[in-house]
Amino acid sequence: MDQSLRPVVDETRGIYRVPRRAFVDQTVFERECRAIFDKCWLYLGHASELPNPGDYVTRKVAGRPMLFTRDKDDQYHALINVCPHRGAVVCRERKGSSPAFQCMYHGWVFANTGRLMVVPGHAGYPADYKDDPGKQLSHAPRFDRFGDFFFVSFAADGEDLATYLAGAGDYLKLVSEQSSKGMTIVGGTQEYSIRGNWKLLAENSVDGYHAASTHSTYLEYLKNANGSTHDTRLAGFGHDLGNGHAVIEYFAPWGRPIANWIPLWGEEGKSEIEAIQQDLTTRLGQERADRIAKQSRNMIIFPNLVINDVMAITVRTFWPTAPDYMEVNAWALAPAEESEWLRKFRLFNFTEFLGPGGFATPDDVEAIEKCQVGYQAAREAQYNDISRGMLREGGSAYDDELQMRCFWNEWDRRIQEHGA
Amino acid sequence: MTREAEIDAMLLQHRVQSFLFHEADLLDRWQLNEWEALFADEASYLVPPTDVDGDFADPSKSLFYIFDDRTRIHERVVRLEKKGAHSEFPRSKTRHLVSNVRATAQGDTIEATASFAVWRSKDGNTDIFVGHYSYRLVEIDGALRIAEKKCVLDMDALRPHARISILL
Repeated sequence: MDQSLRPVVDETRGIYRVPRRAFVDQTVFERECRAIFDKCWLYLGHASELPNPGDYVTRKVAGRPMLFTRDKDDQYHALINVCPHRGAVVCRERKGSSPAFQCMYHGWVFANTGRLMVVPGHAGYPADYKDDPGKQLSHAPRFDRFGDFFFVSFAADGEDLATYLAGAGDYLKLVSEQSSKGMTIVGGTQEYSIRGNWKLLAENSVDGYHAASTHSTYLEYLKNANGSTHDTRLAGFGHDLGNGHAVIEYFAPWGRPIANWIPLWGEEGKSEIEAIQQDLTTRLGQERADRIAKQSRNMIIFPNLVINDVMAITVRTFWPTAPDYMEVNAWALAPAEESEWLRKFRLFNFTEFLGPGGFATPDDVEAIEKCQVGYQAAREAQYNDISRGMLREGGSAYDDELQMRCFWNEWDRRIQEHGA
Repeated sequence: MTREAEIDAMLLQHRVQSFLFHEADLLDRWQLNEWEALFADEASYLVPPTDVDGDFADPSKSLFYIFDDRTRIHERVVRLEKKGAHSEFPRSKTRHLVSNVRATAQGDTIEATASFAVWRSKDGNTDIFVGHYSYRLVEIDGALRIAEKKCVLDMDALRPHARISILL
């Protein structure tokens, strides 16, 4: 590929520049589809979305219509939701429970394992037609889980999921360990779009540097709502988790519905929060319990899964359909055993910052969309700078730009590896 | 229905409709403090997501787009009055169309529903929010006040929109 579309890096001089054409160029977008989205492990869904045998959800993954099912033997399947006969989408409902699915076009019926069960007018076909492997619903070439997080890869070969996740695995555990009964996706999905390149949201999701300026009104809201009694300053570190994944882990002024009480929630809930803290400490030890309770984490799992464990936990994917447009899906993740009181405050907390109606995400969107407009001048104003903290000694600060560099190093490696 | 009951229903309809039109006008003129003053002391402003049944979903059990209590309604207005609310600075142009208003009085409260289409235009893009309102209104000192305003989006998803940074 054109060398001018690659990041310009000089580790010793602390230079890291990203060409803005990488956010607007159609050939780059097509290359990303092949080199990244056709190869990487991609998030499909969470086990809690299929609580019972027979349950299913449908969603798009890298543009493909997918059917995620749990059969009667509790086996999970990542099926390509496309009829092998003439290609219509088979299951057209968002979610539900069913042992079988009938294609509306010619009436073929498939089990939730993908197996073809009924072909209307079968006399027109050979006797063993139904057993033809090519007539079953296709499975994602690779499908695996890490804890309750399910991923697919559309590449037949490659490293296994745990290897791929590298250091991100332990951070997924830090989320899962918040419950002794299992974490659950809370009903209700935020489904929106941003008129910007998908990589802008990857960067923004783990950007600690922009909080003070982009989110000044949110930070002022926290002060108004909680008073000066809760004035923890933003402070922490950024970590390279390998394979393009990165995290920032830091202290912040917001309440966390996992053992970090704030005045906004009222005195009556304090004892419940203390009991959760005690349970965490008993199960996990003081150090890890304190880390889970008191610190926030924003993590990008390359290429497009964000798990932000902040004033609530959001699981977020974002899929490009063009260089300047992405579809975003965001869920709330919570301990299954959480009380009604705490669940309410968790969701109240989630919506104070996160999502299209929050006090912060709309301003992230504004930044992303204004960057995309700015990149129209990519020929004259050529580069982004993500060098902050490159020459800092003693670890990367939460508001440095290490996380973006991890992402871009991996992006560049995969784009180059893919060849012309 | 007796003639007297019909006249009562007409007066209620007129009163609620005038109130909703007044609210829409305040929003389109960005008179946010006046808008906030339409709410009762205990009030909520809700926008459910599009993949649940918005008429029945509970914001303490499902993730919503907007789950504001009275304090946060105030804070939302405070925020929107600042230049730091970047998404709405400079402010977008909006137009709220409110129709199909229906109202019934039950004791001290009035339940009202209406259809809405809200256009938001800014920076070369125009997004349309389509849905229906569900209001719980109360009378305080002779004036109608909002105890709950729920905006149920009759949309497949919030796309191509990116935000509900305006007030619906």
